[in-house]
Amino acid sequence: MNAPGIIKELSLFRLKRSIILGVKSLWMHKLRSLLTAMGIVFGVCSVIAMLAIGEGASYEAQQQIKDLGSQNIILESVKPTNKTTAGEQERSLILEYGITYNDIAQIQATVPGVLVTIPSREVKDFIWNEAQNVDGAAVGTVSWFPEMRNRNVVRGRFFTELEMSMRAPVCVLSKSLARQLFPLTEPIGDTVRIQTSYFRVIGVIDDDPAVAAANYEKEATGDKGDGMEMMIPITTLEDHFGEVLFKYRSGSFEAEKVQLHEVTIRIDEPDQVMPASLAIRHILERNHKQVDYKMTVPLDLLRRAERTKQIFNIVLGSIAAISLLVGGIGIMNIMLATVTERTREIGIRRALGAKKKDIVIQFLIETVMLSGAGGVIGVALGLAIPIMITHFAEMVTIIEFWAPALAFTISVMTGVLFGIYPAFRAAGMNPVEALRHE
Amino acid sequence: MASPDTAPEPVIELRGVEKHYQMGDTLVKALHGVNLKILPGDYISILGPSGCGKSTMLNILGCLDQPTIGQYFLSGQDVSQLSDDDLSQVRGKRLGFIFQSYNLIQQLTVVENIEVPLYYQGVPEKDSREIAVALAQKVGLGTRLDHRPTELSGGQQQRVAIARALANDPAVILADEATGNLDSKSGGDILRIFDELNADGKTLILITHDEDMAKRTSRTIRLKDGVVAFDSYTERQLA
Repeated sequence: MNAPGIIKELSLFRLKRSIILGVKSLWMHKLRSLLTAMGIVFGVCSVIAMLAIGEGASYEAQQQIKDLGSQNIILESVKPTNKTTAGEQERSLILEYGITYNDIAQIQATVPGVLVTIPSREVKDFIWNEAQNVDGAAVGTVSWFPEMRNRNVVRGRFFTELEMSMRAPVCVLSKSLARQLFPLTEPIGDTVRIQTSYFRVIGVIDDDPAVAAANYEKEATGDKGDGMEMMIPITTLEDHFGEVLFKYRSGSFEAEKVQLHEVTIRIDEPDQVMPASLAIRHILERNHKQVDYKMTVPLDLLRRAERTKQIFNIVLGSIAAISLLVGGIGIMNIMLATVTERTREIGIRRALGAKKKDIVIQFLIETVMLSGAGGVIGVALGLAIPIMITHFAEMVTIIEFWAPALAFTISVMTGVLFGIYPAFRAAGMNPVEALRHE
Repeated sequence: MASPDTAPEPVIELRGVEKHYQMGDTLVKALHGVNLKILPGDYISILGPSGCGKSTMLNILGCLDQPTIGQYFLSGQDVSQLSDDDLSQVRGKRLGFIFQSYNLIQQLTVVENIEVPLYYQGVPEKDSREIAVALAQKVGLGTRLDHRPTELSGGQQQRVAIARALANDPAVILADEATGNLDSKSGGDILRIFDELNADGKTLILITHDEDMAKRTSRTIRLKDGVVAFDSYTERQLA
């Protein structure tokens, strides 16, 4: 009994009758059929739902990383945590660390394809609106900051190159800072104070996606003041705060000398980003005795996120395989019981002219219908669950068009795989003994 | 030269058929060299005490089993060496079975049960439905076409089985204790149908231990210890 033989026998007419017959047999034991199909239902449904949730989560993470700009390399100055640093600095009252103008000059001179750099410095202190204050940071940066970092100005405008060269005392607030400082009033046109300097608010900008992305990478430092920042021209910052930053806190003060707090470097060729990042790392390692900088390569994060997703998919695939295996074994178990229970029917059919392959086809179709019905219900549930999650939990879920198709195909294949043995067992029965079976 | 024998070609011919079974360590010879010719239109009863080889005989005549030794010609074709598939084909096309316990398929209706042999012969649905309805009417079940076996009396179920045995217009109908599970009235109805079928020219073989049933048939064969002990056709004691 070879496969082509079976397929030849399986003309459309016979298929239709076999399906009707299968439905009748399954319908005779409605509850049993339903319970048997359940294994497949939950397998298929969980695969689709989990895929949709996982796909949604990784999409969100990747979107956050992409918002940092996939051609960018972001350097940040980090206060060294190690207290036993170079002796010279120990004695000095001023803590000197971070990325220097010299670093940037070297990078621009030696790394090819470096297109634009956005230097930025920040002053961390309380930001005041009259009596309201928020612990945040004034970030000195350049006028092309929004487009380079994919940050949208939501209200008002960003400062211009002219304002930069004029060293104008203007500022753009981050959305969350604006919400904190001006909970009820319109910030634009108003002024905020940091230390002894006043700035006019000219716009509001979206929050830093890096905060969220960093959270995703489990590297959130909290140093960012949770997005409580205001942008001012870097030139203005120099004018007002100088090179050494004094920070007065209750009872004490800290002095820091940081040339640049953050630098964003754009590489003009996407495929040069990774080599350039290596070169930049080399330069920084040579220039800095201690790790007082942090380098973020969004592309690298993106790749890592993709790898994470791949691992997730493998885990998911294993879970799916196990659940379908369990479902398949359940089906096989029931089909073996059914074959025994219907031994006499098999004998009758054999006596009335059924060939072995007719019996194989009959039971195989029954199994496939059982698993296929389980697949259909599973797909329906699997499509409904992500929609409900999106609706109630407001999580992004993405249903890939191939996921339901794949899950359904696998459920049918499970039916075929686990139906073969019971079907052949049914066909292999001796007609005489099958007829005698009580 | 052709033989002068003008007798019609037998529909069934057994030549030295033996059937051996291995039962543990002992070899059981259920049939011991059976020679038999059955002509078209014969109305035969095969009798014998239990253990005489009746069931084995039925299995072999019904192509459900094959002889260990000897030849079995059905409509001139040697079926003693056929493959399983060919044997199925022979059963479905040339033989009709009627069993003691009716053996209807429970999940199918009357008409669908009658259609089963036609289905395996690949008869198109429309034609097979027509044939099945006509046969159901013939056995007096024209009003119960869509009933299920559980909704029918024993006599009615056996009539469905008869209709099913007739579906493919077989060369031989084999009935195994066909009235064994029925009361005398229903059994009598079944036997009357058999008489009518034979009158229409059908070849019937009734396997029974009921002497009254044997009296209705035109030929009686008695089996004893795996051989034909008596055949009324030859009018003599063989053993």
